[in-house]
Amino acid sequence: MRFPRPIDATLHGATDYTVGAMLTTIFPKLAGIEGTESARQVRVVGAIHAGYSAMTDYPLGVVKAIPYRAHLVIDAVGAAAIAAMPFVTGQFRKGPRHWVPHVALATFELSSLAMSDPTGRGDYHGNVEAVRAANSETPARKIYDGRAVVAPAAT
Amino acid sequence: MRANVWSGRNTVQVENVPDPQILNDRDAIVKITSTAICGSDLHLYDGYIPAMKKGDILGHEFMGEIVEVGRGVSNLSVGDRVVVPFPIACGNCWACQHELYSVCENSNPNAGLAEKAFGHPTAGIFGYSHLTGGYAGGQAEYARVPYADVGPIKIEDDLTDEQVLFLSDIFPTGYFGADLCNIQGGEVVAVFGAGPVGQFAIASAVMMGAERVIAIDRLDYRLQMAVNRAGATDIINFDEDPDIVEQLKELSGGRGPDAVIDAVGMEATHGHGVVHTADRLKQATRSESDRGHALRDAILACRPGGVVSVMGVYGGLLDKFPSGAFMNKGLTLRSGQCPVQKYLRPLYDHIKNGDIDPSFVVTHRLPLGEAPNGFETFKHKQDECVKVVLKP
Repeated sequence: MRFPRPIDATLHGATDYTVGAMLTTIFPKLAGIEGTESARQVRVVGAIHAGYSAMTDYPLGVVKAIPYRAHLVIDAVGAAAIAAMPFVTGQFRKGPRHWVPHVALATFELSSLAMSDPTGRGDYHGNVEAVRAANSETPARKIYDGRAVVAPAAT
Repeated sequence: MRANVWSGRNTVQVENVPDPQILNDRDAIVKITSTAICGSDLHLYDGYIPAMKKGDILGHEFMGEIVEVGRGVSNLSVGDRVVVPFPIACGNCWACQHELYSVCENSNPNAGLAEKAFGHPTAGIFGYSHLTGGYAGGQAEYARVPYADVGPIKIEDDLTDEQVLFLSDIFPTGYFGADLCNIQGGEVVAVFGAGPVGQFAIASAVMMGAERVIAIDRLDYRLQMAVNRAGATDIINFDEDPDIVEQLKELSGGRGPDAVIDAVGMEATHGHGVVHTADRLKQATRSESDRGHALRDAILACRPGGVVSVMGVYGGLLDKFPSGAFMNKGLTLRSGQCPVQKYLRPLYDHIKNGDIDPSFVVTHRLPLGEAPNGFETFKHKQDECVKVVLKP
């Protein structure tokens, strides 16, 4: 069975900006980590996320310098880094508030990645080559080459 | 027989299913020679029309040869070549007597479902959910046609299948959309959506004498077809500039089009990615069933006193209907599933007279077995797809 990947590049972009905005603003307070080192880390992660999103070549990108597939790789590496951060710094010893948000964020990011179509087309799962091979019509002939099929009404 | 069946959201598959049988005296069985994928099939495919069941045979645009008729069908014989209109109509009820075949009072066995959704029952439709009767559709080798003495039109010329197949739906539907605009000659008509119905709405408006016909879409190849084949005089690609209302004013002397046809419906795309995404999220989470960008812009763009004609399919509820613009500009809003039976004969005559060749929309002709790929290609506008015809 085909694994569903319904998130196209536009929806992925909307999620990126929403998550970026939340991480840099209300997320630390909602997660109860305001004023901690974790809050600062989460805000930096959110800002970086929004930053490379704006530079991604997808419909909601601004500069379009980073290919969409590269963006997905950065997402994956970033998720792993976020999850590892509390354990690398040792802050996880201060209690769950200092590592659970990181792991939750990484889990969300990886889930989103799993459902994102790397081609950016979303849930397209057709075989366009098979269609071309089976098609006994020529699209371009119908679109560009033919004459007008209707005569304007006599005035 | 083999048939293309709905298997869940975004999945169809060609399966072996039981052959149809005559169930009532007014039934006929048609051996299908050509059938098509309609834009409104995509609403079923995408899961936005309720009451689909796994195994439902899709397809409401089909034609073929009569292989069996019930005792009550006297106007058709075995061997006749027919095109079957998509609404199933009894011909006897008040609606049918008033040529409102698409709201036939007798043909929908699940009228109670439709009544809950729409306030009144609507006609049965082939292959279009149990809301419209749960009838088996025509993307198959054979189909049972109820009320066969009322619906199908006999084709007695050597016209090709593709010249007459679209009498089943998209040609009359596009024509109906233009007809509701009361075109007298010299008008400016805007058509949202340059898909198959939009192409026929454009061509019909040209046939009726509109002076300028403006095609609106985001896909350049469809706009090219609108200009090169259907007769559009102007195009707007809203991917390049999403302010459709302003562009329509510019193309109509600042006044706005006399009539606007919405040939898009419930899965419209907005030129602004953020606006589109917001509506898409609402639809995906079922907080609205219809994305109404095209209808909203149609109402905002239409000149005061003008007509907005809605041919695109809507299924339930949409947010932000511009009621202020609609009321204060004194617009006339007209709509409906096309009462195809009313238009069959005159449009068949137009084809025979050479006034129009409907086969121009066909970009893909595939064997029935390729239906799943055909749906995906059509849905995602791959390979410059405008219209897919399937050959069983």
